[in-house]
This record gives sequence, structure tokens and C-alpha cells, in this order.
Amino acid sequence: MRKRIVSVVLAGLMAGMTIMGCGSSSSATADQAPADESATSAGTETSAAATEAADTESGEEVTLKWALWDISSTVYYQPLIDAFEAEHPDIKIEMVDLGSTDYSTVLGTQLSGSGSDFDVVTIKDVPGYMTLVNKGVLTNLNDKISADGIDLSQYGGVTDQVTIDGNLYELPFRSDIWVLFYNKDVFDKAGVSYPTNDMTWERYDEIARSLTDTTAGAEVYGAHYHTWRSTVMLDGILDGQHSAVDGTYDWTKPYYEMVVKEQQDGVCQDYATLKTQGLHYSDAFAQGNVGMMNMGSWFIATLIQKIKDGEYTDCTNWGMVKYPHADGVEPGSTLGTITALSLPTSAPHPDEAWEFIKFVSGEKGAEVMASTGNIPAMTNDDIVNSIASMDGFPQDDTSKDALVTSNVYLEMPANDKSSEIEEVLNNEHDLIMTESESVDEGIQNMNDGVQAILAE
Amino acid sequence: MVSKSKTKNRLIARIVIYALLLLLAFIMLVPFVWMVTASLKFNKDIFVVPYQWLSLQPRWQNYVDIWTKIPLLTFIRNTVKLTLIVTFLQILTSSFAAYAFAKLQFKGRDILFLSYIATIAVPWQVYMVPQFIMMRGMGLADTHLSIIFLQAFSAFGVFMMRQFYEGIPDSLCEAARIDGMSEYGIYSRIMLPLSKPALSTLIIFTFVNTWNDFLGPLIYLTTESKKTLQIGLKMFISQYSAEYGLIMAASCLSLIPVLIVFLALQKYFVEGIASTGVKG
Amino acid sequence: MANTLTAAQKNHRRRILRRNLVAYSFIAPNFIGFAVFTLGPIIAAFVMAFMKWDGNNPAEFVGVQNFLAIFGDDRFISALKNTAIYAVFTVPFTLIIALALAILLNQKIRGRNFFRTVTFFPYVASLVAVAAVWNMLFTPAKGGIVNQVFLHLGLTPLKWAASPKTVLMTIILFSIWKNMGYYMVIYLAGLQGVNGELYEAASLDGANAWQKFCYVTVPQLRPTTFFVTIILTINCFKVYDIVYMLAGGSNGIVNKSAVVLVYYIYEEAFGNWRLGTASAAALVLFAIVLVITLIQFRGEKNFSAD
Repeated sequence: MRKRIVSVVLAGLMAGMTIMGCGSSSSATADQAPADESATSAGTETSAAATEAADTESGEEVTLKWALWDISSTVYYQPLIDAFEAEHPDIKIEMVDLGSTDYSTVLGTQLSGSGSDFDVVTIKDVPGYMTLVNKGVLTNLNDKISADGIDLSQYGGVTDQVTIDGNLYELPFRSDIWVLFYNKDVFDKAGVSYPTNDMTWERYDEIARSLTDTTAGAEVYGAHYHTWRSTVMLDGILDGQHSAVDGTYDWTKPYYEMVVKEQQDGVCQDYATLKTQGLHYSDAFAQGNVGMMNMGSWFIATLIQKIKDGEYTDCTNWGMVKYPHADGVEPGSTLGTITALSLPTSAPHPDEAWEFIKFVSGEKGAEVMASTGNIPAMTNDDIVNSIASMDGFPQDDTSKDALVTSNVYLEMPANDKSSEIEEVLNNEHDLIMTESESVDEGIQNMNDGVQAILAE
Repeated sequence: MVSKSKTKNRLIARIVIYALLLLLAFIMLVPFVWMVTASLKFNKDIFVVPYQWLSLQPRWQNYVDIWTKIPLLTFIRNTVKLTLIVTFLQILTSSFAAYAFAKLQFKGRDILFLSYIATIAVPWQVYMVPQFIMMRGMGLADTHLSIIFLQAFSAFGVFMMRQFYEGIPDSLCEAARIDGMSEYGIYSRIMLPLSKPALSTLIIFTFVNTWNDFLGPLIYLTTESKKTLQIGLKMFISQYSAEYGLIMAASCLSLIPVLIVFLALQKYFVEGIASTGVKG
Repeated sequence: MANTLTAAQKNHRRRILRRNLVAYSFIAPNFIGFAVFTLGPIIAAFVMAFMKWDGNNPAEFVGVQNFLAIFGDDRFISALKNTAIYAVFTVPFTLIIALALAILLNQKIRGRNFFRTVTFFPYVASLVAVAAVWNMLFTPAKGGIVNQVFLHLGLTPLKWAASPKTVLMTIILFSIWKNMGYYMVIYLAGLQGVNGELYEAASLDGANAWQKFCYVTVPQLRPTTFFVTIILTINCFKVYDIVYMLAGGSNGIVNKSAVVLVYYIYEEAFGNWRLGTASAAALVLFAIVLVITLIQFRGEKNFSAD
């Protein structure tokens, strides 16, 4: 019996060793594996290099595997691929949908242990980017960028915010900015004039309150905040002096106080109810009793589509303006979220993959993105015009101007500890918004918690 | 007189029991009714408060859309295939192994059995990554075989079957042994027929678990044509929105096979030792 | 001496060997698959508890540092505490209700199949759907159905899953409701194994229904109860998705008042990619469950030896 246990333990240990990359091919697991497969899992760079060499020699057709999410509901994947394949006839792109909700988990698992066959991976958010960079599974793009003379200034400074120790591991191709959506019908009914592109937060709060009607059964909410932390806390980073990884969060106080007061007065719906009932922000807006809602520009396409389909009937008359700004700060600063492409270190066809990444995040990719109604990371006046001329886009000039930004701050800047910091901030955001603790207590806990993480 | 009050008491007891059962049925059925009504609504109407239980204009389009928005038929075919194979293997191997754990004396029985139970206690999230790397090393990534291996040899089945065999008197096996029957004969001719309720239970549980499994297929199956129904359900939840109307329509559909299996196997819940007339 | 075994001794040895081989042949088909695909990776994961590993770079031995790290982490301590509270309340209530339901639905009553199916329903229905219904009933808004009932009864409406004070209670209630049908089915199967003659004998001895329950049903169901208790305890310690659905709500934020062990493990493993600390936390969970199981295992052995 003892022997049996020992051998089981040994087998497990050896399996562990293989995982850790010590590359013993005599493990219990490799015995059952076809020889070529175990070679892939053990030798990392050698096998990748070998495949690459084989491909370039033969000059045959290469198929790149691209990891992404939501194929069926994303309109720009296929047009991007078509445009690229037209230009590179010997490179084919195969999409692999890893699902949206667990994308980071699945991608991280797939890229573990360097046996992955993805050539291009999409990066969803900054914490996801940071974990992959920390794991060392993404290729440093610095050399390729300078060799091909790519001008990073075209990305409006966002690439600087994801550069780590001078190294860049992703190129953005989609950029969403936050704006303030509003329902013109609600304003007309209340006899309030529409919001403008240079509102201060005080003015915004006033307007929200003047729209509000707390009559039971016929409530009108002047403002709506989705349950995400960004909708409240990050209003504070728009002055350009603070960021979510600062370690001190006293600057969030006016915004938390404003929103908590608003929910107590019935100006916006209660966070606790919204959170547990799972009301989606687009459905909240569609119910037609919300005056203003701060949300990302991705909501534009949804709104246009659902109004066209006849599902949304109570918010057909909508518009948007720039984010409100703090006193004395130039209007037009806003939050941004980027979607980017990276090259895994284990990519079987790194050269072809780099061609694809360059294409998608470059000028031609940007044109395709804009033609599908999405804001590319590389943006200019032509692109804004082409989005604003889309069918269903509000016709007023204010709404079009709302897309022109002066500064874009990422919701979460790149930081080694960003996912841990996010945990602390989310926890306190939740407690403040459910009014389980006061704004001051919450901020104190944020300061203590994040400083402890940064000190590690 | 006495018998009259007794029947009266019995009547009251019956009424109380039925009242309780109806209340129970009501509490249990609320989500089902919700699922069905939600599946007939526009997404925006689902979370309206107060909830509209009766929708005047049921939106049957959701049931049409789920077939066109994702390759639902392929997903169903894959799920059925995987579920049947896994359930079959699970029942076969675990009832086989459980017999040894319950009715045979052998070296290392307790420690092996404990190792089975112990692994049930380890959350899958912990060994998911090593397991994935190992499976990929074997060339099993993105194959249905990986899901089958993942699910078919669960410790749960062995543990459950062993507990039910424990309840079958040892004297039955002893008698058969004296009659010269081999252990394999005892297993197939005595134990299996006697454990129909337990086998039915295990079939139901394995079926439900495999049918509803999500994270396993999501991590292992990356090719569209190999994906399963539950991954398909999640395809209605995208980054910035969730199509609850479609999710509920597909959920309602995916529930039907599970209910059929449950109903079909229920009849075995009345045939135990008691009814087969075996003397204890 | 060892070389001069008597024929009887040899025979005996051979018989034991044969007996062992037959037993192993029963176990092998399941055990080989189990050992390769489950046990191996689990052992690898446990070795990882003493390493620093991000899932990609070579692992590095760090001794017990991962354990020191988690026990120094407030969130882990909260998770441990919440999981224990959750298990302590969920296990007994679920067990008793499941047993009561099984006995009730084992009677010859009209519509038995219907009631059995209905009870099993919340378990098979999609979690998204049942959680949505639950959240609708137990909404923190004063206009919510349950809160309305509370107001009528003169009680203060609660914030349920939205308040740190009541979130665990809400999760426990939900979990009992969702899972009782599952354990009822196991008990139902167990009840079919109860020898009917024992009831007849008890009736002849003049036992009433309660006595029959105590002296026939309960002892006869002992293996089933052992199974249900262990599986239920383990499942309670592994609770994850229910917490995520109820406490996470629309933004997925599970704060300290509701975080549980597996949720913590998930965050460590896939949020921070610290598989070492995740494994260490899992090892702690494993140790707790193992102790509970061993106590019950011993209890069962003692009983069957009696």
C-alpha cells in the first residue's frame, strides 16, 4: 500500500514538474501523449521557431488564430478580416471566441505553460493586460514598433498609459470614451433646457434635480448611474491630477457625496436595488424615465440598433454631451477604455501576426472600425465625421461635438497591482453606495487598503 | 365512534399535507413561470418593477431568434453526445468500483476510498490550470474526449453508489458466494438489479451536471462546431449587454431533456428491496 | 521458516492475493481515469501551495510563505468566517427539510410524481433564472414583495443581499431552497432500500409512526445520511456561484461581508494569477473538510461495528 501511495505522489510530482517547465518528458502524463504533442508542451521556443521556419520556407498559406469574444454580436471582426485578407492573400485569419464573461480566465489558462497556438490575442482591459504582462506571455513590441516606424502619437497618448517600464506589449485598435447620454423627451416634459458640452458638475446636479419627479408610480429620475465604480468614483480623475492607483482617494469625496445625496433624494435609482435586481443600464435608459446617464460610447451602437428594431420606444429622441467637468478644468476630458491586440510569446507565426496587428490598429483598420460605427483608437476629424453621419445618430451639433475629446484618461492605469487595487476600491464603492458606511469611512478604508498593497 | 374520529383526524391530516404540498409546489414553480414569461418578452421589459406576469403580446420571436443567432442545433447535438457518453461511462465505472468498496475486503480499501472522498473536497478552480496543461500535453485540448475524461470518472458517483450498496444486506452476497457465484456474477445479477433507485439517481445527477456544465467546455472547447449548449447560452451575454429574453428562451428549451430524464427515471424510485421480495 | 510455508498457508496467501486482484479489477476502470485526470492534477496543485507560480513562468519554492500570506490577508479571514457560518446554518436545515420532504413524497399520495418533479426543479433550472426571481422577490426596495409582507407584519423591511448584515442570511435561505430537492432525491432513493418487513414487525410490536421513524427509518437510512452529510458539507465549503449571483449582482462586486473561500481562491487564481496562494487557500479548505469527513467516517465505522 505504501508503495502505491508513493508512486501516486511521484506521478503527481512529475506532472507538476512538467507544468513548471522543467521539461521532463518521462512524466506519467507524457507516456500517453503522442510524441509530437509532448514536444510542443516541453520545448517552448524551439518548436515555435521550427514551425515558423517551416512556414516561411514553403511560402504557403498561413492561418492565424485570433482570440476574441462575442463574434455574433460584434460587427467589426469580419470586415477587419476581409480587409486584411484582401491585402495579404496568403494569410488567413481564424477567429476563436472565448466568450465575454470569463474571457480573462480562459485566455490566461490557454496561454499558460507556453503550449498555446494563438497568434493574436485581444486584450479586454488594463488589469487583464497587466496580468498577462506579469505572466510574461506577451511579446514586447518596442523593437517591432521602431523597426516599422509606427507613430504612437496617433493614439492620442493612451499608449503611454499602458507602457510599462518603457515597454509596450499591445497596440490599441478600439477606443471607447465616456459621454453623457440624455433623453430629450424627459427634458421637454419638464421644460428644462438641454445639457451643454461645457457643464460643470454643479450645473449637472442642478439639472438632474430639476428633472426629478418622485411621485410614486410615475417617477422620473434626473440621473442614472450604473453600478460600476467608474460611474461615480472616476468622475474625479478628469482634472488630470489623480488616478485610480494613487493610494489616496480624498478627491473622490465630492462625487460620492453628490451621488449618495441624489439617491437619498430620489434623483437617481437606489444603488442597492439596481445591483440586486440586475437592471441593465440600457434597459434603465430605455424605460424612458431617466433624464441623463453617463456611459461609454459603445452604448451609441446599441441605442441606434434597438431603436431601429423597434424594441426601444421611449428613448428614441436622445442626444449626448461631453462629460461634465470640475470648476476651472477645461471641458472635454473624459474616461476611456481601450481594446487592443497583443502578440503572445508562443505564437506559431509571429511575423504574420504582427502584420495583422499593425493592420488592425493602423489607419486602414481605423477606417473599417469607423465604417461599422465604432470608435477606433487612432482617431481624427474624418473618423468622427463618419461616425456622426451614421443613420440614427442624433442630428444636433452638440452630440457630434461630444465625441471630440481634449484628454482621455484610462479607467485603470497600468500598474503591477491593478487587479488587487481594484478589489479594494470595488469593495469600498459597494459599501459606500449601499450606505453601509459613510463616504469618509469608505475613503479612509480605500486609502489604508491601497497603501498597504502598494507598500508590499 | 372511535373509528369515526380516527377517519376525521386522518382527513384533517390529509388536508394539511396537501395544503403544504401545494404551497411547496407554488414556491418551487415561481422561477419556472418566470423563465417562461421572461422568454416571451423584450429584454427591456424583463426587469420592470412590478413584474408583468402576463404579457399581452408574447414575443415568440425569441424562440425563433435563438436558432438563428447561434448554431443551436450543433450545440444541442454536441451536448447530447457528451452527456450520453459521460453518463454511460460514469454509471458503468462507478457502480463497478463501488461494489468493491462496499462488499469486498482488500488491501488499502479505506485509504483509497478516503482519497476518493477527499478529492471531492478540492474545488476545481484550484487544479484547473495544471489539468489543462496536462490535457493539452496529451493533445486533448479542443476535443470532446477531454470533456469526457474530465467528467466520467468522478469520485462522487463511486461514493454515492458505495453508500447505497452498503444498505444492501451482506448476507445476500454471502449466500450467492456459497452457491458458487463469482463476484462479477453477484455484481451483475444481484447488486445491479437491486440498486435501480440509486442508479436512477446517479443517472439523473450525472445527466444534469454534464448537461449544465459550463466552465469545463468553455476552457477546453474553442472551435465553434464543438461547443455545447451552455456555452451557447452564454453567447447571449456579451460585454456590454445581456439578452435575457433569449437566454430564458434557450434555458427553457434546455430544461426539457433534463425533465424528461427525471420523469422517465422516477418510476424506479418505488422499486426497492422492499418490493422485490428479498429477505433481509 | 519463511521458506517452509505449509500448503494451507500458501493456499491462504493465494486466496488473499486472488481476492485483492478481483477487487482491484472492479476498481481499476474508474480509478485509472480518476488518478490520471483528477488525482494527479490535484496533487500537482497541492505541491503548488508551497510554490510561487503565475501559471507560466517556472515555479519557485517558497515554503510556507503562501500560508503566511493568506492568514495575514483580511479578505481570506473574512472568507473563512463567512464560509463557516454559511455551512453551519445550511447543512442541518437542508438535511432536515430534504429528509422530511423525501418521507412525505414517499407516501402514496395523489400527484406524487408532480410534487417530486416540482421540488427538484430549482436545482435543475438555470441559476441565472432562479437568482433573478429570488432577487426580484427579495429586492431591497420597500416595494419588493417580501418587504411588503414584512411591512404588513409590522417588521422593518430589510436590504437583503445589499446589506452586509443580511447578505449571508439571504444566501443561506436561497441555497436551502435551491438545493433541498437534490438531497431529497438522494433520500428518496435511500428510502427505497428500507426493508418493508421491518415496518410490519414494528407495527406488530405496537410502535407508532414516530417510533417507526426513529427505530426503523433513521437507522436504515444511515449510509444515505452519511453520504448526504458529507456531500452537503463539502458543497457548502465549495459554494461559489450562488454567492456570485446573489451578492455580486449587476456589477459582480462581492464585498467582505459575503466573500467565501472558493470565491477568494478564484480571485487569487484568475484575478491575480497567484496560483500558489490559491492552492494554499484550497489546502486549508481541504484540511477542514477532511477533518469533518474523518470524524463522520469514524462515527459511521463505529456504528456499523456495533
